[in-house]
Amino acid sequence: MATRVLVVDDAYFMRTIVKDTLVPNGFEIIGEATNGAEAVTKYAELKPDLVTMDITMKVKDGLEAARDILARDPNARIVMVTALGQEKMLLDSIALGVRDFVVKPFTAERIVSAAEKALV
Amino acid sequence: MKINAQNVNPFVEAAMKVVNQVTGIEVRRGHLTYKANVEPSFGVSIIIGIYGYLTGQVVYSLDGKLADRLVDKLLEGKSPQQKKIMFLDCLGEVANMITGNAMSLLNQRRDQLLNITTPAIAAGDNLSVHLVPKPALVLGLITMYGPIEISIAVEEKETLDETSDLQSVLSEV
Repeated sequence: MATRVLVVDDAYFMRTIVKDTLVPNGFEIIGEATNGAEAVTKYAELKPDLVTMDITMKVKDGLEAARDILARDPNARIVMVTALGQEKMLLDSIALGVRDFVVKPFTAERIVSAAEKALV
Repeated sequence: MKINAQNVNPFVEAAMKVVNQVTGIEVRRGHLTYKANVEPSFGVSIIIGIYGYLTGQVVYSLDGKLADRLVDKLLEGKSPQQKKIMFLDCLGEVANMITGNAMSLLNQRRDQLLNITTPAIAAGDNLSVHLVPKPALVLGLITMYGPIEISIAVEEKETLDETSDLQSVLSEV
């Protein structure tokens, strides 16, 4: 059975790139969210195996969303996908229990490897 | 307002690296000038706020033909309709990656950290962008498909108040 993924990013372009990279590698995209608040709601509804989460988003950022998701489900598997320059937020997210992070621009191998590693 | 020319180099380095990495397009350094106000020169403008020990904004400006070429390269294999839908997102992400890389280089110099806002993007032939008047160092970058102009209007601060810095930047973007 394919790993079910929720993709969270405010940019449609980035959600498309993440989907286009993960789907041919055996992942199933079961939902998308455009901000952290939507991500928290969709996580509760869809119960995905994995979340890819942007950090800088309006309404609620990825760090706050990861905190909320992990507070409700400490076993949630989250991979942060973000541009460089967010080192503090990345360190904070790792401290929260996020499994890995991928820096944009990323290669297909890097995001697939992070997704696979998060599931172990 | 204090503008430090040393803050420009990370943007040059980041822009050359990111644009080449994601599109394969070579970028060369052009002229550095000073402007009393940020006035984007071309039809597509992307504005990103910066807060932390530097506060202000960075404005990327490029003409429509170069923007089309960047999007074509980034979305190779996608339909014209998909390219149209993702056009602004794509350019915003490139600007976000350049700014993020530049922040990372700037952060290496200090114990304090910088943060960035989400990009605001404006595109159109008869568009004018009105920003809060601030002096800027304007960096020209050259590609074979046209120029990119980066206006860096950031002010150095001695003390860090993240919340108030963010509010002031957000009100400007």
